[in-house]
Amino acid sequence: MDNVRTHILLCTGGGCIASGALEVGEALRRQIERRGLAGECKVVETGCLGPCVVGPVAAVHPDGVFYQNLRPEDAEEIVDEHLLKGRVVERLVHKAPASGEAVPSLHEIGFFQKQVKVVLRNCGVIDPLKIEEYIARDGYAALAKALTEMTPDQVIEEVKKSGLRGRGGAGFPTGLKWSFTRRAKGERKFILCNGDEGDPGAFMDRSVLEGDPHSVIEGMIIAAYAIGASQGYAYIRAEYPLAVERFGKALEAAREMGLLGKNIMGSGFDFDVEIRMGSGAFVCGEETALMTSIEGNRGEPRPRPPFPANKGLWGMPSCLNNVETFANIAPIITRGAAWYASMGTEKSKGTKVFALAGAVNNTGLVEVPVGMPLGEIIYDIGGGIPNGKRFKAAQMGGPSGGCIPKQHLNVPVDYESLTELGAIMGSGGLVVMDEDSCMVDVARFFLDFVQDESCGKCPPCRVGTKRMLEIVTRICEGKGVEGDIERLIDLGQKIKDTALCGLGQTAPNPVLSTIRYFRHEYEAHIREKRCPAGVCAALVRAPCQNACPAGVDVPGFVSLIGEKRYAEALRLHREKNPFASVCARVCFHTCEDKCRRQSLDDAVSIRSLKRFMAEQEVTVQLPEVRDNEANAKRKIAIVGAGPAGLSCAYFLARLGYRPKVFEAEPRPGGMLVQAIPAYRLPREELAREIRMIERLGVEIETGLRLGRDFTLQSLRVLGYEAVFLGVGAPEGSRLGIPGEDARGVTEALCFLREYNIRGTVPTGKKVVVIGGGNAAIDAARTALRLGAESVTILYRRTRAEMPAYEEEVEEAEHEGVRLKTLTAPVEIVVEGGQVVGVKCRHMVLGQYDQSGRRRPVAGGEGDYVIPADQVIAGIGQKLNPAQVHNGTPLALTESGFIKVNPYTGRTSVDWIFAGGDAVLGPASVVDAIGMGERAAVAIDEQLTGEKHAFWRETQPVDTFFDPDADPAEYPRAAMQLLPVTKRKNNFQEVELTWSEAVARREAKRCLRCDYRVECKED
Amino acid sequence: MVSLTIDHTAVAVPEGTTVLEAARQAGISVPTLCYLKDVQAIGACRVCLVEVEGAKTLVASCVMPVAEGMKVKTNSRRVRESRRTVVELLLSEHDGDCQTCNRSEDCELQALARELGIQEVTYPGEKSKRMLDSSTPALVRDTAKCILCRRCVTVCGQTQGVGGLFPQRRGFKTVIGPAFGVNLADVVCVQCGQCAAVCPVGAISERDQIGEVWAALDDPSKTVVVQTAPAIRAALGECFGYPPGTLVTGKMVSALRRLGFDAVFDTNFTADLTIIEEGTELLTRLKTALVEKKPVALPMFTSCSPGWIKFLEHFYPEMMPNLSTCKSPQQMFGAVAKTYYAQKIGKKPEDLFVVSIMPCTAKKFEAQRAEMNSSGVRDVDVVLTTRELGRMIRQAGIDFRALEDDTMDAPLGLSSGAADIFANTGGVMEAALRTAYELVTGRPLPFANLHVTPVAGLEGIKEASLKIEKPLAAWKFLDGATLNVAVAHGLGNARAVIERIKSGQAAYHFIEVMTCPGGCIGGGGQPRLTTNEVRKARIQAIYKEDEGKQLRKSHANPQIEQIYQEFLGKPLGEKSHHLLHTHYMAREKV
Repeated sequence: MDNVRTHILLCTGGGCIASGALEVGEALRRQIERRGLAGECKVVETGCLGPCVVGPVAAVHPDGVFYQNLRPEDAEEIVDEHLLKGRVVERLVHKAPASGEAVPSLHEIGFFQKQVKVVLRNCGVIDPLKIEEYIARDGYAALAKALTEMTPDQVIEEVKKSGLRGRGGAGFPTGLKWSFTRRAKGERKFILCNGDEGDPGAFMDRSVLEGDPHSVIEGMIIAAYAIGASQGYAYIRAEYPLAVERFGKALEAAREMGLLGKNIMGSGFDFDVEIRMGSGAFVCGEETALMTSIEGNRGEPRPRPPFPANKGLWGMPSCLNNVETFANIAPIITRGAAWYASMGTEKSKGTKVFALAGAVNNTGLVEVPVGMPLGEIIYDIGGGIPNGKRFKAAQMGGPSGGCIPKQHLNVPVDYESLTELGAIMGSGGLVVMDEDSCMVDVARFFLDFVQDESCGKCPPCRVGTKRMLEIVTRICEGKGVEGDIERLIDLGQKIKDTALCGLGQTAPNPVLSTIRYFRHEYEAHIREKRCPAGVCAALVRAPCQNACPAGVDVPGFVSLIGEKRYAEALRLHREKNPFASVCARVCFHTCEDKCRRQSLDDAVSIRSLKRFMAEQEVTVQLPEVRDNEANAKRKIAIVGAGPAGLSCAYFLARLGYRPKVFEAEPRPGGMLVQAIPAYRLPREELAREIRMIERLGVEIETGLRLGRDFTLQSLRVLGYEAVFLGVGAPEGSRLGIPGEDARGVTEALCFLREYNIRGTVPTGKKVVVIGGGNAAIDAARTALRLGAESVTILYRRTRAEMPAYEEEVEEAEHEGVRLKTLTAPVEIVVEGGQVVGVKCRHMVLGQYDQSGRRRPVAGGEGDYVIPADQVIAGIGQKLNPAQVHNGTPLALTESGFIKVNPYTGRTSVDWIFAGGDAVLGPASVVDAIGMGERAAVAIDEQLTGEKHAFWRETQPVDTFFDPDADPAEYPRAAMQLLPVTKRKNNFQEVELTWSEAVARREAKRCLRCDYRVECKED
Repeated sequence: MVSLTIDHTAVAVPEGTTVLEAARQAGISVPTLCYLKDVQAIGACRVCLVEVEGAKTLVASCVMPVAEGMKVKTNSRRVRESRRTVVELLLSEHDGDCQTCNRSEDCELQALARELGIQEVTYPGEKSKRMLDSSTPALVRDTAKCILCRRCVTVCGQTQGVGGLFPQRRGFKTVIGPAFGVNLADVVCVQCGQCAAVCPVGAISERDQIGEVWAALDDPSKTVVVQTAPAIRAALGECFGYPPGTLVTGKMVSALRRLGFDAVFDTNFTADLTIIEEGTELLTRLKTALVEKKPVALPMFTSCSPGWIKFLEHFYPEMMPNLSTCKSPQQMFGAVAKTYYAQKIGKKPEDLFVVSIMPCTAKKFEAQRAEMNSSGVRDVDVVLTTRELGRMIRQAGIDFRALEDDTMDAPLGLSSGAADIFANTGGVMEAALRTAYELVTGRPLPFANLHVTPVAGLEGIKEASLKIEKPLAAWKFLDGATLNVAVAHGLGNARAVIERIKSGQAAYHFIEVMTCPGGCIGGGGQPRLTTNEVRKARIQAIYKEDEGKQLRKSHANPQIEQIYQEFLGKPLGEKSHHLLHTHYMAREKV
């Protein structure tokens, strides 16, 4: 053998081959040859290294450097730089996601750090086609040990003690299964290997078969010895030609070495293995169907009992295990059951391989100890969700499995815990879904899959899943009806109870599990004909409009702006949302988050366009109002002149009502006027839109506080037929730490309200703001403008978890606000009744909590004090229920807000409706506007018995669009901002408006997802 | 014995019994659909679900073996609701046009829906796609009515060893049919109709030809004669509520007359004729082999059963020389009726219209084989199955149970008991031996009551040996010879016999093969549902008919003697050869 100094282990798993690994390998060899390094450097084609998404990948040993995204043209540089000069080619190594720094060492990459490789011990390390390399890594030592030192019963006992459970999905204890088959009477016995991996998104078995076939063969031989089988079959998917080829070659090599065939290792034990190619049916992964298929018949399951252990293949006792199960056997025999059982949880031992797929940065193959929390797999190994999207659910176990939502990210991934949550461990498919996944659509996908793959033998599976699919499909198409969810649950449970085999018995799981955790999404489809994730084509006119809580026709007004038709654009906007000018400044624009243009470059700058549009209004335009004498006489009270109440009033007025608005503070506007600083929302802009609402016949009376000046009952007595409560969540939450009652400690909302209403508020020099929400940021920036010398924000999690809008946080930092994350206040340091500082503790992120975020826990470092003369707490808002109901028993939610029907805003009292922060807790302006609209529609329906919401009908927009033209190629126009130096000590608006040319150009970037052409079927 | 509790009732049954059979033994009825005793138990339809304590899901009782101490509930709310859902799901995919379905009121799904009290389908949706296959003369398939119970797949593949029907495609698109979605006419289907006989719904049926018969009866230029096969008389009564095994020969003749047939004849007559021709053929073959020492195809197979003929043509064309060249009794009848009888009544063959009433769908195929026109025109015009005749009698408004007995017409109406037993498995063999043995030895067959008991009954393959001693002078060469015979019914068994012969494991001289289990009494055109109990009852009835006759041997039938004298000349003579014998053709194996 050559004395090779450097090995390049090039991954030739299916994924890397598809992205060009073989060409890279050739190029590397050519370059090595060219540089005359052939004797000392060698390219080894190995099995899967894991991180398929960055393939082709290679590891250079002994240096332990990991290269990714290789192309043949990179070969020269790697050989010249790395192999010749010993310099790592930095541009080809992994970059740490947070810092962007190069991480050349394989062992320092997060993806590899937390993995424990038992099954994949040789994958990516050896050439799968060289049996010598397998043997060099203790391959077939376990077989030798079993055959020479152990009786079959001892082998079974060892496997039992290891706690290994079947990795095919059901998790039946492997040792027990073996002992059943050993005890069964039969002329011949068979060992069967299930390599018919068929779950969408799963490729664990494939990688093992391709990357380390001998580990499976060795496991099969040991199993055969244990149960007394003389023949084995490996049933491998025909869609895995490379696995079939490599496994076949491995069999030949083993036979040549006397490891298969007659008299194995001279022990007198005979055993051989044949490959059977799968026939392309998912159901053939079911053990009885698999055996029927090996027998040469159509792969259909048969009833159990008789169980395969007694009557399996050709009626003989048979033992079927999954590829991964077999790959675990040799290490258990060589290293012992105790070693294996030291990994995992109490009931689930060892490791498990997962195929990470979907909306996760590091898609690929990973192996972790059983019981690792799901969140760690997704975030620490998987690298989290791409593009800053939010995690929604993990689909585990494929079509037989279920979804785990964010509130269970902390679940240990083991058999029992997952089953409890309605998912299953399955064979290891782990599909991560972000906020852009519609869970009804996900359920439809899996149902469609099982319906296609059902063998058709039993009616519950054949017809039942078809009926479920029909119901789910009609829900996705907006044709769902009340009762559909119950029908799905009822039918799903019947199918589980009556189907013939495991495929049918688990087929309803994806539906049942999505209903369990995402019932509200089903309800939105059925009741509102809305797909919250913006996926279901029939329900989504355009993703931006779909994402808008007020349902504004975004492509409509954007395209009208593009044609200089500003008045029409504004009118269209106000059909759904009266606060165009307000939202142009303070909206959190989910529309932009869902903009499809992001897949090309960046989202259309919808909010800036709205700003430009609103600026073009010279005299206020009034929307369409349908006068109605009967409605005008009806008395409707709206409590709270915030966005929810005013929106409700606006839409009622358009139906001819004359609602009266009662406002506690001296000025209408709610949080818009009390909390949001003028540098974000100039007061005149708000006043203009409130005046417009008043001109529709809405009367606003200020200085009247519910619970003090009037009560709900007194309104009733005065003849109000309906009341809308938009009272907000005006009370700040307390910190709950020592010293918080000291002088100088205030609450963010109080601070902001005082300044905004009175025009002045005491402000310290050294200000510490506690909290990560918008109120905290607003308070910090306001304090800075009011003369604070330093403003520090303390937040206990990381910046990524801050609920405040990202651009607000950025601007705060630009203006000089210091952000200290992972910092929690533990005490307000007080001297003589006055604040002098905040004692802080360094935090680290611990386990995942109910919100799917990591809970901060105290870190190792000691506490320290930040000096402060003012502390502003902005850690949450709440409602004071006593003040609201005052004897009228309104049902509240668990978090203490008013409980309503989300589609109508109706509370537990039928004449009282509610919306906005009083219902949602601190939420966005546009959410409040949407809820006000829904309540207005519901109030009208309650009073008249009919629906009159004419603005809800989609209005045709006649702007020009050429579907054949290429999209505008230029990038998103930047927002204009007031320079930081000009912001000090004043409350001038920070964001500036665009010129007409910029705005019209930006409007043309819209892809016009709303464009539809009727397709007629011939 | 295994002890278990079913619905709080203690039951003890032998090990290996299924929960379903255990329940039935305890007098507890569990509904079934795909299950067919002695044929299929696959747990597919999920109608026989029961609750077994400790089981995760409900289990199919038809495949669940009993276990000691098992606790079973067959009628819990969970079971009832699940069964109902399963049947509702079947109804939701099934084309439910009951009013126009020929299985209405004879439909197991309909009966089940009624039994379970289903009044609406909770989950309606897309129906099974309709693909009509009327490619064969015998059978019509309608996938829209199929509920995929797979009984047809099992009888075709297992019982008959043909394998013409399989589940195709997957999911809701699953259909049962010939491979690759082709038609029955394009595959090895022998058209025996066993699929139609076990179909619980109207998905596979005989081709309904009642209309053609009505048209002929209405045509004044036609003389319409009818022949009735031996197996009809023991089964037709079932169409009118009689228990299986009730002989209704006389009422059947009355009904046929009331329908307007000009003459009612008996296929039994040509069954007797077959015995003469086929017996002579066998003896001739033996003589060729033993005396002339010339190569001749032995063993000789009977050729009465058209499904069997087609089976051999598809799968074992090399064995075609072993088939008797005799036409089946139906085709002999057609040829004789349109020549001998036509002459007698002064008509031309084309003026006669011959209708057969057969227990068999393959007879519809046989009648239209190209070579079956030795009278110069189609020898048999229309074949009706027993079921069709039953329907026709109803259509005519005839109160069958109130009919008086009547007798067949001459000259093709008289027959021996030997002809009757053509209906049973082993019957042709027995009839042939009754004649052949007596022709050779001059003595009657040495079996009690002339019944060759070793070849009777429902055993799949039966064998017998008969030593010939002291033959008549003409048959001296047979002295001391032992005649080895075998009988197979059900083509799966026929296949096994052929394989035995080909592998040299057995040497026979004469083999009777009937396509259908039990013989013609279990034919594909007989009233549903033919279980082994029903077969036994019909077989008994046929033996009773035989035993009730004075005339029990074919060669003693005076009308047979008459037809040879008046018309045919001698057995295997020129006219016989032309009218009563035929030839075969090899067919593709797939």
